[in-house]
Amino acid sequence: MSSIFRGNFALFLKIAILAGITAILSLLAQSAFASSQIAIGTYLVIAVVVLNFTYFTKVSIPLKFFAPGILFFIAFVIAPIIFTVIMSTYNYQTGNYISKDAAIEQVLIRGVEPDASQTTFDLVSGRSADGSYAVLVSDIANQKFFISTENELTYVETGQLTFNEYGVAITAPGFSVTSVDELATNDAYSKIRYKYSDGYYIIIEAQGVGAVFRQSIAYDAKTDTMKNIQTGQIYVDNKRGNFALEDSPETMLTPGWRAPIWFENYTKLVTDSRVRTPLIKVFIWTIIFATLTVLSTFAFGLLLALALNRKMRGRRIYRSILILPYAMPSIMSILIWAGMFDSEFGAINNLLHTHIAWFSSATFARAAVLLVNLWLGFPYFYLICSGSLQAIPSELLEAAAIDGANPRQVFRRITLPLLLQILSPLLIASFAFNFNNFNLIYLLTGGGPRNTLDGEVAGATDILISYTYQIAFGRNILDFGLASAISVLIFFLVASISFYGLRKSKVMETFG
Amino acid sequence: MNKWLRENLWRHAFAVFMCIFALFPLYLIVLSSFNPGGSLQLTSFVPRVLSMENYKMLFSSPKIPFLSWVKNSLIISSAVALSSVVIGAASAFAFSRLKFKGKKFGIQLLLLVQMFPAILALSAVYVIMERVYSFAPSIGLGSQGGLILVYLGGSMGVNIWLLKGFVDSIPAELDEAAKIDGASPVQTYWLIFIPLATPVLAVVCLLSFIGTFNEFIVARLFLVEMSGRTVAVGLQQFIGGQYATNWGAFAAGSILASIPIVIIFLSLQRYIVNGLTAGSVKG
Amino acid sequence: MKNRLLKGLALAATMSFAAGLTIVPAQAANEILIWADETRGPNLVKTFAKKSDWVPGSTIKVVSFSSYDALKDALDKASGTTGPDIFVAGNDWVPALAKSGKLAPVVLTAAQKSGFTPSQFFDLSYGGKLYGVPVDVNNVGMVYNTKLVKSAPKSYGDMVKFYLANKTKMGLKAGLCIAGGGMSWGGLSGFSALGAEPYQMNADGSVNYDKSFDPTAFAKNVSTLLLDKKGKSNGFYPATDTGCQDNYLAGKVPFAIIGNWHWRTFAEAGFDMNIQPVPGVKPGTYGKMFGSVSGAFLTSYAEAHGVAVPAKSLLTSFFASTKGQVAYQAEEGRPPAESGAQKSQLVLGGQKAMGAAASLSSIPQIGAFLNTNAGGANYWDSAPAYWTAVLVDGKNPLVEAKKLAAIWKANVAAGKADL
Repeated sequence: MSSIFRGNFALFLKIAILAGITAILSLLAQSAFASSQIAIGTYLVIAVVVLNFTYFTKVSIPLKFFAPGILFFIAFVIAPIIFTVIMSTYNYQTGNYISKDAAIEQVLIRGVEPDASQTTFDLVSGRSADGSYAVLVSDIANQKFFISTENELTYVETGQLTFNEYGVAITAPGFSVTSVDELATNDAYSKIRYKYSDGYYIIIEAQGVGAVFRQSIAYDAKTDTMKNIQTGQIYVDNKRGNFALEDSPETMLTPGWRAPIWFENYTKLVTDSRVRTPLIKVFIWTIIFATLTVLSTFAFGLLLALALNRKMRGRRIYRSILILPYAMPSIMSILIWAGMFDSEFGAINNLLHTHIAWFSSATFARAAVLLVNLWLGFPYFYLICSGSLQAIPSELLEAAAIDGANPRQVFRRITLPLLLQILSPLLIASFAFNFNNFNLIYLLTGGGPRNTLDGEVAGATDILISYTYQIAFGRNILDFGLASAISVLIFFLVASISFYGLRKSKVMETFG
Repeated sequence: MNKWLRENLWRHAFAVFMCIFALFPLYLIVLSSFNPGGSLQLTSFVPRVLSMENYKMLFSSPKIPFLSWVKNSLIISSAVALSSVVIGAASAFAFSRLKFKGKKFGIQLLLLVQMFPAILALSAVYVIMERVYSFAPSIGLGSQGGLILVYLGGSMGVNIWLLKGFVDSIPAELDEAAKIDGASPVQTYWLIFIPLATPVLAVVCLLSFIGTFNEFIVARLFLVEMSGRTVAVGLQQFIGGQYATNWGAFAAGSILASIPIVIIFLSLQRYIVNGLTAGSVKG
Repeated sequence: MKNRLLKGLALAATMSFAAGLTIVPAQAANEILIWADETRGPNLVKTFAKKSDWVPGSTIKVVSFSSYDALKDALDKASGTTGPDIFVAGNDWVPALAKSGKLAPVVLTAAQKSGFTPSQFFDLSYGGKLYGVPVDVNNVGMVYNTKLVKSAPKSYGDMVKFYLANKTKMGLKAGLCIAGGGMSWGGLSGFSALGAEPYQMNADGSVNYDKSFDPTAFAKNVSTLLLDKKGKSNGFYPATDTGCQDNYLAGKVPFAIIGNWHWRTFAEAGFDMNIQPVPGVKPGTYGKMFGSVSGAFLTSYAEAHGVAVPAKSLLTSFFASTKGQVAYQAEEGRPPAESGAQKSQLVLGGQKAMGAAASLSSIPQIGAFLNTNAGGANYWDSAPAYWTAVLVDGKNPLVEAKKLAAIWKANVAAGKADL
């Protein structure tokens, strides 16, 4: 048996596996560089080097165990987090989404204006006699026809042309027509601005159609400004990701780009009351929600575990049923609960013969959220508690009973403290999980109810993460920068709460 | 009142009450799945009509490749569950058993990072996979391979943390004995640790499988081809639609998709209980 | 020694393995990539399966997302490489996506423009530039159950009278409910019939910035028609849309507002389809509804993929053409947006009835006014909030109506700059 792990066969196996992985990663790195994905390529090269060094030398034994895990962890967990943290210092929102280079390109594409009559022409794409890109344009209204290249416009006599049934010129002497297949695959012809007149030019709008335009916005790379060619107005970089007029900063060119604004997103959290007030409200509810959820699921789970903590008839059946909420896909059950709480036709109101609008009242909505989360969570604690109860040494309990303690006292003085000590890491983990329990809120209430008529932006059941999601992705106007700042804040909050809890419960000591 | 009643009545009463609580929504799902109208059957607790229409639709409609969805989910979830346990177990072993510089820092980092709201980091993951797509489409955005990578990476922290708890619960005497016999850490890992840990590894594998099976927020961005979707995404479209919702089909599909999981769960419940508890209960 | 040899072998094996594999290109150079949601996507696939040469030399690939939300999510996150060249969706994303540089402008010839009304382009424009072409019309219509209601209601009051008189006798759960389009989009008629609208239009289709709705008159109508003497809801108009379709089909609700995309469901359930707009307080007037167009939009990625011109060609030759819209709507079943396609014999009766209701009382859906949060909340959130406040929480209809009016007025003022 152990020979598999020693000797030549093991070495061969190791080399074969590593060679395979090295080959795949190197190939990927090579193609990454080829498509100029430098960061990913570099990461892959580092991965190859690290893997080979780890397994072919004795640099570090622990690394032999860690290397694959760490590589995944950095790529898919650490890197996105770093990205989010960086974005929290950017003006990164609707209107300021792309890079500056892309924004400049877009501003220039949009910075054109049609001529007064918004002229469009039928045309045919091809090459002129000297081989440069050209269009054969039919100005049917005026019965004028010309061949236009980037620099030259030549009128052609009607007699020299052939026409299709719509009166569009399709051939001319010295003009070779480009095939449709080339038009579909090579876009160079569409980037040319074909000469027209007085600063106007023709661009190809669709196959066979050209439109007359002139450039109205120009970029000056030296001063990093945009200029309106016709009016002479200068737009300067306002350092917040837009080109804006100097004397009227509200007039901006779109699109903008994501620009660094350092700690503004963070200071907004404190200074802007429209951000701060709902945030505090949401934070308080998040703490209440997570705490009550942990307490209620733990209490019900423990009570069930105690009730079923002896040999009794039907225990297996009870356990099989009680485990079901945990085994069912939670998306499904949350959505069903949402339907059951409906005010008009919901099962809960039907059952109770009430007409409560569960999700329109803050109190009822919060109660509903807690109830559903109890349903989702109690089986977990029931399972854990029943396992842990069996782990408590029975001598301890017997000794206490001999000392004359009644069952209630035994539970309060021995069982519960022991359980709490054993389960505290799981209770803390459950708290941290519920602190960020996005799916429940998103699918059940969507964070509502929001009293929008009174200007509320955060809903009564919004927890920090669902509120942040709303800001980042959930609305028409998205503010990813602000949302990132809030998530960094959430991170510090949960981390410190959990660390405090862990230290209290002395779990940290075992880390050494 | 006899002794049996006094000691057991409340137990049964409470257990029955909680069972009803647990079953109530599930009963409604079953009811909805037999409702041909396509709406959520909430108005009455007795079925008006029993129809197999929703179930038939899942298997006969050419628009709904239900079986491929199930197949995709099985492939993706198994791949993620198996690989994450293989990769995670090694790291967990090292964290639990080996002594090295920066161990405490590593564990704390692992714990801390899990508290970052992952949903926000999703944008970055999307961009990364978009870039991967530009040079390797089969493991980039839009591919099952890419989705597996993202799940695997995303679950790494949780799984290592979970597994570390389990490893801690396995008595250290055995591998210390092996060490005295001259076995290297790698040999200890393969010969002593893996055989001992197989049951817990199986549990983590199962939990990871279920977690992956349920996920839809990432999957709906990645798997857009109709026949390439997972069950969660495929079913969600029945009710997430802008114009029409079909709760009946959603319920029927969910029941079919969750039956295997529920069966596995029920048959392995003893191990799951032990596995879940092992992380916290030591020695 | 042996180790070193093996390592050398491994290296050699690695190199040869790496050299043997080749790289696959991401997107074919002549491919136009279209993104759509779960209903439009599959129907586009079917349409292109029948005829695919709408742009000579190009191939078309359609990607269908599992839901409208998933499509929006992906569009928000897409950064270029994998983004679509064209996407098909409602018009309300135009302002945000155009502002963010994800859309590219298109120019239509006079002939291409002539198939559409100016208000349809209005919906698809931002900052004076057009970003897509109108594809189909989305609107609602009110249907009534002819087994319960014998003749078409002339006014809102008629419907309330019918409901109150027959509530107990027929076991009615509500009088009028929203079965399609939700409480904000589909529910506009519910507001408008009683006198509240997010913005006012002139007869020529332009926005009337001088007028906004009168909360006093609206609140008076709400009090007399929807509330009882104690100021509580009389049950005629529920504050949520859940279960409306079921109850309408079960004969528990006499009037329902349905979307034009699912009139077939109702027709197949055996109802006489009497489609009309929601009658107003005064006989002969009707509540306004959104007659919004869905569009096919050009993205800025098309340029990066080198298919800007083919993509624009597809917009005009397929999405905005009579032939293209007829072919597509044969699968999709909505009223086409283009006038030639609207007249086509191939368009079905229900589609036409819905179109007729739209022409009686529709207003364009102007995203710049509806999506902004300038007044403290956008239209989509504030509209249902009014009904919750008044019908569920029993708050004063006038006080709440004044808040609503203030919010909508501020939104219109802010949105004006974005048009």
